[in-house]
Amino acid sequence: MLNYFSRKERLIAFLLVAIVLIYIGWRSISSPEQAMQFGFNGLSVGAVYALMAIGFTLVYSTVWFFDLYYGAAAALGAYGVFYLRSQEWLGGQYQVNTPVVNIILALVVAGVAAWVLHAILYSRLRERVDPTTLRIVGGLLAIALGAYTGLVLTFPSHLHVTFGPVAALIVGVAAIWGLRLLFERLNGGRGHLAFQAIAVLIGAALAIYIGIFLVNSPGSKLYLSWAVSCLIAGTVGLALYRGLYVRMRQRSRSPLIMLVASLGILLALTACISIVFQSAPRPLPDPFGSVPWTIGGANIKGFNFFAIGVAIVGFLALLSVLKWTSFGRAVRAIGDDEEVARVVGINTTVIIAIVFFVGAAFAAMAGILSGHDTAIQPRMGLLLMLKGWIASVVGGIGNLYGAILGGFMLGLIEQFAIWDLAGEWKDVVAFGLLILFLSFWPRGLLPRK
Amino acid sequence: MMRPPGWQRITTVLRNPREALTLSRGNIELWANLLIILCALVFMVLKGATFAVTLGTVFGIWAMLSISLNLVVGYTGLLSVGHIGFFGLGAYTVAILTSTTAYENLRTGEIPTFGWPFFAALPVAVLVAGLVALLVGIAFNRFRDDIYVLVSFGFAIISFNVFLNFRALTRGAFGIHDVARPQIGNWVFDTELELMLVSLVLLAIVVGISWFIVSSSFGRVLKAIREDEQVAEVFGYRATHYKLAVWVISAMMTGLAGGMFSSWTTFIDPNSFILLESILLVSIVILGGLATIWGSLLGALAFVLLEEGMRFLPFLPQEYVGQARQVVLGVLLVVLMMFRPQGLVGRFKL
Repeated sequence: MLNYFSRKERLIAFLLVAIVLIYIGWRSISSPEQAMQFGFNGLSVGAVYALMAIGFTLVYSTVWFFDLYYGAAAALGAYGVFYLRSQEWLGGQYQVNTPVVNIILALVVAGVAAWVLHAILYSRLRERVDPTTLRIVGGLLAIALGAYTGLVLTFPSHLHVTFGPVAALIVGVAAIWGLRLLFERLNGGRGHLAFQAIAVLIGAALAIYIGIFLVNSPGSKLYLSWAVSCLIAGTVGLALYRGLYVRMRQRSRSPLIMLVASLGILLALTACISIVFQSAPRPLPDPFGSVPWTIGGANIKGFNFFAIGVAIVGFLALLSVLKWTSFGRAVRAIGDDEEVARVVGINTTVIIAIVFFVGAAFAAMAGILSGHDTAIQPRMGLLLMLKGWIASVVGGIGNLYGAILGGFMLGLIEQFAIWDLAGEWKDVVAFGLLILFLSFWPRGLLPRK
Repeated sequence: MMRPPGWQRITTVLRNPREALTLSRGNIELWANLLIILCALVFMVLKGATFAVTLGTVFGIWAMLSISLNLVVGYTGLLSVGHIGFFGLGAYTVAILTSTTAYENLRTGEIPTFGWPFFAALPVAVLVAGLVALLVGIAFNRFRDDIYVLVSFGFAIISFNVFLNFRALTRGAFGIHDVARPQIGNWVFDTELELMLVSLVLLAIVVGISWFIVSSSFGRVLKAIREDEQVAEVFGYRATHYKLAVWVISAMMTGLAGGMFSSWTTFIDPNSFILLESILLVSIVILGGLATIWGSLLGALAFVLLEEGMRFLPFLPQEYVGQARQVVLGVLLVVLMMFRPQGLVGRFKL
């Protein structure tokens, strides 16, 4: 497959690319202001594609199939924000907050929590503590988490009180974890009790400060609703993995079976979203105000900067986790060979479950960003999913660098293409390029070795 | 002689009725057949003949579509989500050639109308679909598995955008009115019964061609290629040529179904050819069963019954029928992938 084309044909392909680049360069020099505008729009659209592509690539490089649920995850994320915030934005115009949805989501969270507790803690503690007690305590914990989820979802207008402390706790734990790793790295890979104590102190202080800040500022509800949406979409992804994919993978290794199953999930979830929220487009107001800034002759919304920042920060965070933590090593080991990873004692099911959670959370963030940028509708997930899929394939199958490169490239190409063509042809450009590109580079720009 | 899968089971079950309750492959096929056909009969009796006739036309179109897609998915193992594009090509070709409504384009002035009869436009539609399929197939031949799914998604999106935005020919979102009904001499087929007749005759042609392909040596080579491409190549069969041939034939039959669809509704717009319809089509093919013609007929029947049956559920508001059908199909896909990857009566697992 790799050597399908002769050297001459590859040369022609390179020449074509060069001509396109020169043409774009010439257009940019002749009207730099417009070029700035298009380039910036391209980057901000590309950030969304890059986030989707990161989710796809993360999962693809571990379990080697494309999980199309991420289309639904993007829509779930965007509609989660709408669900939590619509009452205040639109003044009670839409009564979408229904107990049925809250109960279903609470049950999903409780189930996932029960499984996670069982998979991570049960086998470790079984030796020391009575199993029955463990089961009861774990069950109660899971039920409590489910009830808490229901509480958070039922009172979206008090999100900063109900979810603020938890968000602070998550940030604190992440800070402790990150600092410990950083100290170990600086100390040449060895841990030290004093370092750990400092990390815990800093993390705790940070958590308390953020907690107090969040509880006292109702303006933070929007950002908290983003976090809740991402967590919910991730939890649903994890539940799907545990409930369906694990069993399917035991029966068959064909990537197409998983693909079709996830297509079914996408179909069903999209329809569920349009049953709950109706299929008409809805607005998500711009969180940073809609007055554009003028930079170099281009009108740029503050939110676009934010989107690009989120994509880059998300990418860097994921990259450093994969590179430097034991979790990251486990993920890479599973990607190389799952059987061997299991043999050397990696709990593959749990690791893959976390990967699915993170991937779906990334997709949900992409959906939220795209929703704030334009509008949300239940069908948005399908197209976003396809764009993210294209980006991950074009960038290089199974390579995170490739995902972010492909995402930004796709966004830029789409925007520069509609400079000369009408905007309605941009999907055609994206897919036409994909087909052309894959003919010459079937494994993408930066294939995984 | 074409025998539906699960048929030979009947004699066994008749001899020993307790056999019918075991969960063997033959029994699942038998029960699937009986259940769906029984549902169809009950439905017809309950809703009356006129309703059954409309249902027959729709069934004919969906069955043509699923049989032709099944040739590609079941006999080459390539999961194409792009067949709605050929469906649209057929529909639009017939619509453009037969429509007599003048249409003013703001930029290019009046667009000529052709006013061809239906049966003259239909072969052209089939040829157009085949020609495009040839070009697309040559480009797609080097892809497989999940990348093939992605590029075929791409074809569906591209063709939808062409239908929507190439206004000079397709009239964009306004759609095309007054597509001609089938006509032989002075006999215009414009009652529902006559349309059902045409639809079912076309379906019979499609079934015949597919049956011929599947049971000929060509079909056996296709199966060999599906199972192991390299082995087939070693025996001297050019796998790419065979795959391309069946792809083009399948696209042509899809174009035929498109022509019938456009004549049946007499009005088409791009919304009939969205990606979602293509995904539904794939789920029908998988539901019925891969690599069987009977399975595709069964799948199309089940789909039509599902759609119409849901309309009469008392607790389901009318505007949610489409969505509810999607939920059911999505869940069915997941369940099938989990327990029966070959579909209800299929002969090939993905």
